[in-house]
Amino acid sequence: MANIPELAIHGLQASVEGKEILRGVNLTVRGGEVHAIMGPNGTGKSTLASSLMGHPKYQVTAGSAMLDGEDLLAMKVDERARKGLFLAMQYPSEVTGVSNANFLRIALNSRRGEGNEVPVLKFHKELQSKMKMLSMDPSFAERYLNEGFSGGEKKRNEILQMAVLQPRIAILDEIDSGLDIDALKIVAQGVNELRGPELGVLIITHYQRILDYVKPDYVHVMMQGRIVRSGGQELAEELEARGYDWIKEELGIVDETVSAGV
Amino acid sequence: MSITQVSPELEHDIQKVFESDSAALKEFRGNAQQRYQELPEPHFDRSSLENRIYSFIPIEANEPTDWQKAVESLVDLNGEHPLLVFVDDRLVHLGGLENLPNGVTVKTLREAAQEANVVALLGSVVPVNENKWIALQSAFWQNGVYIHAPKNAVMPGVIQVVHLTTQKGRGTFPRNLIVADANSQLSVLDLYVASDEVEEELHIGITEVIAAEGSQVSYGVITNFPKQTTSYWVRRAKAARDSRVDFTVGELGEGYTIGEFGSLLEGEGSSSNGHAVALGTGRAHMDLTAKMVHVAKFSQSDTSARGVMQGRADGVYRGVTHIQKGASGAVGEQSERLLMLSPKSRADAIPMLLIDENDVKCGHAASVGQISEEQLFYLMSRGISEAEAKRMVVWGFLDPVLAALPVDRVRQAVVQILERKMN
Repeated sequence: MANIPELAIHGLQASVEGKEILRGVNLTVRGGEVHAIMGPNGTGKSTLASSLMGHPKYQVTAGSAMLDGEDLLAMKVDERARKGLFLAMQYPSEVTGVSNANFLRIALNSRRGEGNEVPVLKFHKELQSKMKMLSMDPSFAERYLNEGFSGGEKKRNEILQMAVLQPRIAILDEIDSGLDIDALKIVAQGVNELRGPELGVLIITHYQRILDYVKPDYVHVMMQGRIVRSGGQELAEELEARGYDWIKEELGIVDETVSAGV
Repeated sequence: MSITQVSPELEHDIQKVFESDSAALKEFRGNAQQRYQELPEPHFDRSSLENRIYSFIPIEANEPTDWQKAVESLVDLNGEHPLLVFVDDRLVHLGGLENLPNGVTVKTLREAAQEANVVALLGSVVPVNENKWIALQSAFWQNGVYIHAPKNAVMPGVIQVVHLTTQKGRGTFPRNLIVADANSQLSVLDLYVASDEVEEELHIGITEVIAAEGSQVSYGVITNFPKQTTSYWVRRAKAARDSRVDFTVGELGEGYTIGEFGSLLEGEGSSSNGHAVALGTGRAHMDLTAKMVHVAKFSQSDTSARGVMQGRADGVYRGVTHIQKGASGAVGEQSERLLMLSPKSRADAIPMLLIDENDVKCGHAASVGQISEEQLFYLMSRGISEAEAKRMVVWGFLDPVLAALPVDRVRQAVVQILERKMN
């Protein structure tokens, strides 16, 4: 495994139920970097996240995605995760009868591999300290996974999983949606705590708001299933100030969504 | 269904089996046999018995051998709790009765039915003429347990009963009677199993529970018969004023099963809860009904069921909450959730609320589905393998009912069997 994590995406195309959504995405995320992908609704941002993780509904039709030099697309979903890819989901599933703590311990041990399981007591101690960092009530450990959690609690739980699993590349898919400003600050703080050379982050968002708290190194704009512009933090600020229309004008795009045939 | 054509010698053997019965019991049997001949074949709208092969000869079984191992996989033979073991309707073990509270009686129903007042209770909860099969069972039942708790007696442990079938072709008709007098408390765990090689066997089981005023009865029943068996069972309680009867039911068999459990809530303020788990494997057919009948005011019932169908199993789960006219203030809740794990399995949940009174509260929830792709993706995206993720979803699905099983030993036995069957 390379020392510095690297996710390299080249010419990635993907479709859902036969409908082409991604039309050639190029992007490289390395350890220590925070990338933000912005763009209006329906431009393919979440499809990129789900395709990289291997959601069965999304078919990659062309291009490549390499994680630390290995072909991500040839791996099953669980294998991708064990290699260090993490996706904080926009709509995390609820699983009845499986406690949060039990789930996380099984997931962590899967990632660490057989013979390298974390001792139970040590796990619970670390889990509680990480929950404290995210202002989560200790009782969340024993509650059924995401069942009856509010929107904000689910998002915090996603970041908790990221903190426990310590991925090499983390994709946060609209982690800011549905959060009030206090919850957003907690989630952002959680992400900032995990920043470092061992982690590359890709934040997918509609809004510039979260980028006030998690400062990105790179900002990309996605339209019609591609990255159409890249820049630094200043690009996000410009988008916040001027919206997306000026980019559309510059590029001669009338409808930015992927449903507008090319 | 037929009683196999019998020679005069066999006829003689059949007579011999019931020779020692009391006059009252002989009369009960004779009357039931009459009903059996008169009544039409019962009709079950989701179960067709036309293609089932089974016949029976109600004679005494051979002396059983080598039953200990099968029983020990379920219960502790020398444990502290009272234990009765029947093998092919013969009592082979009776233990742990030393510490029964004063006045509590635990014996075989055959022995108890020497008394006319016990015979008088037979059929008082499950009427002999309810259908042809019940009449048949009433005529030819060979054994089972009789438990009687006198007024105010509190039984601390769990009375365990195991019915093991090892010989095919006789027909196994176990019958139990549980009588809890006023303010007494009883807990019973009833297990039905058969050796794997038993096939074309007919099993009809009846349990009647009579819960007097203020009494509390917890009745757990687990059934696990192999394929090519036909099983029909009725476990029913009659609950008097302020009494409470709780059922925990595990149906894990691979044969053809029709079963019904529930309470007649006849006393004001009586209540009954039921938790059921069903696992269908192979080509199992399960037609299960939880039936709560509210006769009295302020009676309460709550039943929940979780079923998992795999292989080519076919499961129907009916929740019936019947609130009769006059049962004002009654509260009835039910939920049934079924999961299909394979493309060839089938599951149906049928909630039925029959309400003939205005001032009542009723609720139901029913669902049938498969393991959700989203749940699997979510768990796998955290590094958990597909097999483990499926296991987590299925056990998680069953957990709310397993966790509610009030007797630890029932839970352990069920979990063990489930684990083995879900590989």
